[in-house]
Amino acid sequence: MISSVLAITASAMATAQATPLIGIGDDFWLPPAASTFAEGLDQMFHFINWLCYFFFALIAVLMVVFVVKYRAPKGHSFRTDGPTHHLPMELTWLIIPLILVIVIFWLGFAGSKTLGVEGYVGLITPPRNAYEIQATAKKWSWLFKYPNGVMSDDLYIPAGEPIKMVLRADDVLHSFFIPNFRVKRDCVPERYGYLWFQADEPTGHSKFHHLFCAEYCGTGHSNMNRRVFVLSRPDFDAWLAKEASWLDVIPDDELYFKAGPKLFARCVTCHSLDGTRLTGPSWKGLWDRINEGSGRFTDGKSYRDLIGPGKQFQTPEDYIRDSILNPAGHVVDTYSPAGMPTFKGQLNDKAIDALIGMIRHVDEFDPKTGQWLKAAEKKE
Amino acid sequence: MTTINANPDAILDTHASRDNYLTHTRGFLSWAFTLDHKRIGVMYLVGVLTAFFVGGIFALLLRTELLTPGATITADPNVYNQWFTLHGAIMVFLVIIPSIPAALGNFILPIMLGAKDVAFPRLNLFSFWLWMAGALFAVVALMRGGFDTGWTFYVPYSTTTETGGVIPVVVGVFILGFSSIFTGMNFVVTIHKLRPPGMTWFRMPLFLWALYSTALIQVLATPVLAITLLLLIVERAVGIGIFTPSLGGDPVLFQHFFWFYSHPAVYIMILPGMGIVSELFAVHAHRHIFGYRFIAYSSVAIAIFSFLVWGHHMFVSGQSPLINTLFSAISFSVAIPSAVKVFNWTATLYKGSISLTTPMLYALAFLILFTIGGLTGLHLATLNTDVHLHDTYFVVAHFHYVMMGSALIAMIGGLHHWWPKITGRLYNERLGSLACIIIFIGFNVTFFTQFMLGSHGMPRRYYDYQPEFTTYHQISTMGSYIMASGFLITAWCLLSSLWNGERSPANPWGGRSLEWQCSSPPPHDNFPTQPRVGDCYDFSCVVWSEEENGYVVDRSLDPELNPNAPKRAGAH
Repeated sequence: MISSVLAITASAMATAQATPLIGIGDDFWLPPAASTFAEGLDQMFHFINWLCYFFFALIAVLMVVFVVKYRAPKGHSFRTDGPTHHLPMELTWLIIPLILVIVIFWLGFAGSKTLGVEGYVGLITPPRNAYEIQATAKKWSWLFKYPNGVMSDDLYIPAGEPIKMVLRADDVLHSFFIPNFRVKRDCVPERYGYLWFQADEPTGHSKFHHLFCAEYCGTGHSNMNRRVFVLSRPDFDAWLAKEASWLDVIPDDELYFKAGPKLFARCVTCHSLDGTRLTGPSWKGLWDRINEGSGRFTDGKSYRDLIGPGKQFQTPEDYIRDSILNPAGHVVDTYSPAGMPTFKGQLNDKAIDALIGMIRHVDEFDPKTGQWLKAAEKKE
Repeated sequence: MTTINANPDAILDTHASRDNYLTHTRGFLSWAFTLDHKRIGVMYLVGVLTAFFVGGIFALLLRTELLTPGATITADPNVYNQWFTLHGAIMVFLVIIPSIPAALGNFILPIMLGAKDVAFPRLNLFSFWLWMAGALFAVVALMRGGFDTGWTFYVPYSTTTETGGVIPVVVGVFILGFSSIFTGMNFVVTIHKLRPPGMTWFRMPLFLWALYSTALIQVLATPVLAITLLLLIVERAVGIGIFTPSLGGDPVLFQHFFWFYSHPAVYIMILPGMGIVSELFAVHAHRHIFGYRFIAYSSVAIAIFSFLVWGHHMFVSGQSPLINTLFSAISFSVAIPSAVKVFNWTATLYKGSISLTTPMLYALAFLILFTIGGLTGLHLATLNTDVHLHDTYFVVAHFHYVMMGSALIAMIGGLHHWWPKITGRLYNERLGSLACIIIFIGFNVTFFTQFMLGSHGMPRRYYDYQPEFTTYHQISTMGSYIMASGFLITAWCLLSSLWNGERSPANPWGGRSLEWQCSSPPPHDNFPTQPRVGDCYDFSCVVWSEEENGYVVDRSLDPELNPNAPKRAGAH
């Protein structure tokens, strides 16, 4: 079992170029309905809408008619024949809305087969045989973990099967939201949450649905959008098998430039390659800084105090490894200990080796795109 | 003139040129330490409108940023996050919550009661200075690096974010809370103890019912916010672990605490607006308000229900489905008194004598916008549709229709209604009406588009967005510019009246309640003795006077104040 293989962007890279999305549709209200219960929920939305149209028109028309009809010039004596109250009428417009809201509440809760409305009850009860995917939200990325240990950054699901998402968050609140499926649920740190859906129409690798973070989580909140691919069962199995082994088939000497950039996609929101200061230190010159021992930690110690034979970290590699697995242990001065989540259980030794290699050879990578610059050379 | 009032001439003393509250004493200190509710109201008004201007600037900045996906006017998402946080925090805590009760309510409430002042004038001044202190802390927060938590301060983001202004602004909101509590206490006591002879509970102007209900919520709910914020400060400062999960706390608990205050706070914002609108419809349609008791009871009903529905902010937070279901059911209860009010206001227009004045236009705009805002609440209270719409622009549009389209429009309408009373000047009605229409159009262009955005899945608080949403965002931004120009015209219209506006008669609109029976601006003591009142919605004794160039309330025509008054047909 390759339990901690990170497939992250291997998948993303495969489909990155010019992917047409399914989008939000051209309807006046609501995006395309792509899950099994979406249409039943839309039915409810439209039902409430029609009530709204009716009552809005009623109020607006009465208002305009009265204003036009009963307008009186300034100084005109006032008419006094208007009723001051009318109990039967007032009870009517108390009781009719009361009945209506009871109906709306009940439809929203329980749904109705005859009206084609899917109730809340249907949304919260995942079928027992659902395919389970673990989702972890963190600032500012998603990690999806499949039963066979494969992990991905975008969400891949098999078509025509109920999917149960097990949601959690690493740092602050996030919210898992797929508009086309009409599902949403907050991801709360230190808590698990469930959500389920089923999409019958495969998108293939060429199209996707949007996945958004719907709970404000800071700087990268609006860039926590990912793609949702719905694959037919055979395609999905093929994808899973491919993802399970991508890192293992790369030879060790090619690791840092073949696996590095793909793994780096998880680091790129906080670490730059060109020296720009982001949430974490830039990788540019990082290897040299560590080796020279210059640079300080928040507790006042320098790299030299901690790294070297006989010290806490025997080698620079040990220190980098520790920084990935235990980021709050030693924090570089002026950066925050809350800045980086741990990658324990998400990156195996081979993946960490690839990242260390990339940090060592950072000059070989394009500082903007993270692509390996010697790729062309190698071919020649 | 036969009347049972002890001092009839004083009631009808409409000569503004005499001593009034503005000219009574002079100098900065006479304002800073004034105990006159009218001056305190005016100071609040200036403060609130200034804050509204600042909050509006942030609104325009963030709408402009959203003109295009990605960077438009700032390349830093953190800057945008600060803008929307400031916009929300300023508008909620510094503008809408104090706007109607503290500014207009302070000015009008004692006069409507025929009283000289509120029950505790010193407490009133204190609550104004607390408001100033709260605003000052907001400025301190900005100088300490601002804050980017959103106005809701959700943990654990608010306990871990690195922006330095979180604690100062939370302290500021804490202080503003006390300002609000003291105003509420003052109003409760004033309404209980200082009503004039003849004014039983069900003879009070509906604005007072609304202020009374609001004051109850302020007194009962705000302490919960205060405790929550105090815990948040302690948590952030020393890490005690009540809300932050990494310290063993529960972030959902914070949401319960926060919304236990903040949902009632929504009604602190809208109830006084409803009260103003009840006045506007009655006075400018010159007709007895339709279904007085139902409107009064519905204010109280809303105040009570407001405490029972907070959980609907948390349908997707991980709260148990059973609790969600209960909160959904209870949330619908708010729809009933709201619907009753809307129908009763509409019915008030029936067989009225309607003057399409600027305040009336605002009342009509309110009716339309509140209807939309209220009806779209149905989508959000319904469990299955809310799951999709939660935390999208649909919610943003909904609460702007209610908080801005209703509460603030009512406030601006009330400002136009009482402006001649407060300043003693008439503004240019054509300009005022034009501005109202522009604001109404701009508002709908801005926020109706956001219903569409949200239903298509656009999440809120996004600096960047998918290109498919671009057109909607651009239309919305254009709407915000239209709205801003409307507000600028309004500001010009009102401010210029201070210099070249005609002097206002005591009763320019034909109002019946007591504030229209003292001069504009009112004298320092409002009324020499507390006057006896009749039915404040009986407009049959309001008559046009050429001499005054305004209306006068002829108290001799009121059968309650004068037993010899002629009986009328139609009145009950």
